[in-house]
Amino acid sequence: MTGLLGWLHERARDFASLMMAMMFLAFIIQIVFRYVLSFPLDWTLEACLTLWLWVVFWGSAFLLEDYDHVRFDVLYQTFGERGRRVLAFIYSAALVLAFAASLPATFRYVTFYKIKSSMTLGIRLDLVFSVYLVFAIAVILQYLLRCWRIVTGGPFEAPQFGIAPVTTEYEAPKP
Amino acid sequence: MSMALASCLVALVVLATIGAPISLAMIASAVVYLAIKGQDLGLAAEQIIQGLYDSFVLLAIPLFIVAANFMNAGTISDRLTQFCLALVGRMRGGLGHVNVVTSLIFAGMSGSAVADAVGIGKVSIDMMTKGNRYTPGYAAAITAATAVIGPIIPPSIPMVLYALVSDTSIGYLFLGGIVPGLLMTAVMLLLNSYYAHKNNVPLEEPIPLRELPKITFRALPALLMPVILLGGIYGGAVTPTEAAAVAAAYAFIVAAVFYRALSWSSIRTVLHESSRSTASVGLVIGSALIFNYIVASENIPAQVANALKGIEISPLLFLLCLNGLFLILGCLLDASTIILVIIPLFIPTLKALGIDLVHFGVVAVVNCMIGLITPPYGILLFVINATTGIPLRTIIADIWPWVWVLLVALLAMILMPDIVLFVPKMFGYTGK
Repeated sequence: MTGLLGWLHERARDFASLMMAMMFLAFIIQIVFRYVLSFPLDWTLEACLTLWLWVVFWGSAFLLEDYDHVRFDVLYQTFGERGRRVLAFIYSAALVLAFAASLPATFRYVTFYKIKSSMTLGIRLDLVFSVYLVFAIAVILQYLLRCWRIVTGGPFEAPQFGIAPVTTEYEAPKP
Repeated sequence: MSMALASCLVALVVLATIGAPISLAMIASAVVYLAIKGQDLGLAAEQIIQGLYDSFVLLAIPLFIVAANFMNAGTISDRLTQFCLALVGRMRGGLGHVNVVTSLIFAGMSGSAVADAVGIGKVSIDMMTKGNRYTPGYAAAITAATAVIGPIIPPSIPMVLYALVSDTSIGYLFLGGIVPGLLMTAVMLLLNSYYAHKNNVPLEEPIPLRELPKITFRALPALLMPVILLGGIYGGAVTPTEAAAVAAAYAFIVAAVFYRALSWSSIRTVLHESSRSTASVGLVIGSALIFNYIVASENIPAQVANALKGIEISPLLFLLCLNGLFLILGCLLDASTIILVIIPLFIPTLKALGIDLVHFGVVAVVNCMIGLITPPYGILLFVINATTGIPLRTIIADIWPWVWVLLVALLAMILMPDIVLFVPKMFGYTGK
């Protein structure tokens, strides 16, 4: 992935990291105010719950590659390239179908919450929940793209976002 | 079983076995269920959103992930390995012992078995296979097996999930994990010792004892992590979720200030990795929660309880059967799915039979963690295969003795509930 899409993806990743950092900070603020300053805050908990919801669906929409997902691919891997193409097409089409079929109802559910706001921060709940729509649409587009790649003979198993699989080892900076 | 539920299960099994991500397959098959039932298709989204948005306890999970990633980012694994090398490296089979003990200590910091296997696994395996002292298969198998201790010794992500579905106290579950974790460590040390004597593994150059204080001091901040975490919860100071935040903050301070192992770019990498893991774990939890809803609306837990009432089964026999079932499922399903979807089916029966839910919870988590190393579907085997390149077949050939000794430990925990309940009772748990 290059150019604009690559740049957008980098920013999506930074946004997720930023939310993660904010969640962590909100918790620390909560603990410091409650136990050190004996002045409990009520907004931090809600901020954390909102961020958690967003990190999960935002991340699932834009960050997860096939190997990040929990998959049971023992059977899938025993097939050759042709067989895997067929299987991947079947499940991709099924996922597109199911997510697309439930999209209108999901949209209604989310927008219904425009009448309600969250308890302490007063954020409209349709905005809070809208991240699920982002996720559902991203799933539909990703698997449509995969179907397209399978039909046209493209690299259907290639990483979608080009993130390397195991990056949990870090290089420690020189002291 | 209703037609809708049957179709939903078929859809799930088919989609999952042909390689769809399990969480997405679960959401898709929930849509199938709702469609056949003639219910609003938006219910799937509602359950997954509300399930994640309303569960305060789940917030511990991203924080444990952040803590584990900060710990991995620092030079902590090296320091801990050095410490364990000085401690148990001089015995026969020393490096194997080091592997077990490092996992035990690391277990007190992370909360996820995969984080443990990635964090210290590669270091340990490289050390063990250097100079052909241990076969790659043995080194990989012992690393996978010892990573299982991770979620038994607190903190523990699977126990947080169990607390969510069973309404038991996270605090008592965490305490209940301590002795079983030590027991598992002990049986694995014994097995390693046996192997080392049988194969006459050469002794390591012992690290002089006078260096022990220095090495201990270098590892000390990391060793203190479990103390801070548990102290926070049981001192009654903070809730388990807040304790997770304190743990993450502590890990950050240790890595950044004491070990000076964090740069801006590595902090960024930690946050990237953490958000990715959080998304992947959170999605599995969310989609399992939809299934939880389906199972509940089909009234299955009560049906199970009713069906079993007729059989007059003894509590012990029921526990044994249930564990057998989980072990079989553990070969096929991942741990969070078993905990969030399968376990709730049996909670009413467990209560009716008078089985202690903390005892059961710890036993079930141990059971599910053994499932992480049982072929064909053992995530830890895959992770070690991916990080070290040791072929899966080699690892699987050597994993069985470890599975067996862990099963013996599991059986002991089932037969003697006090192995689990001894520590919680010391802290005022009254049982049932």
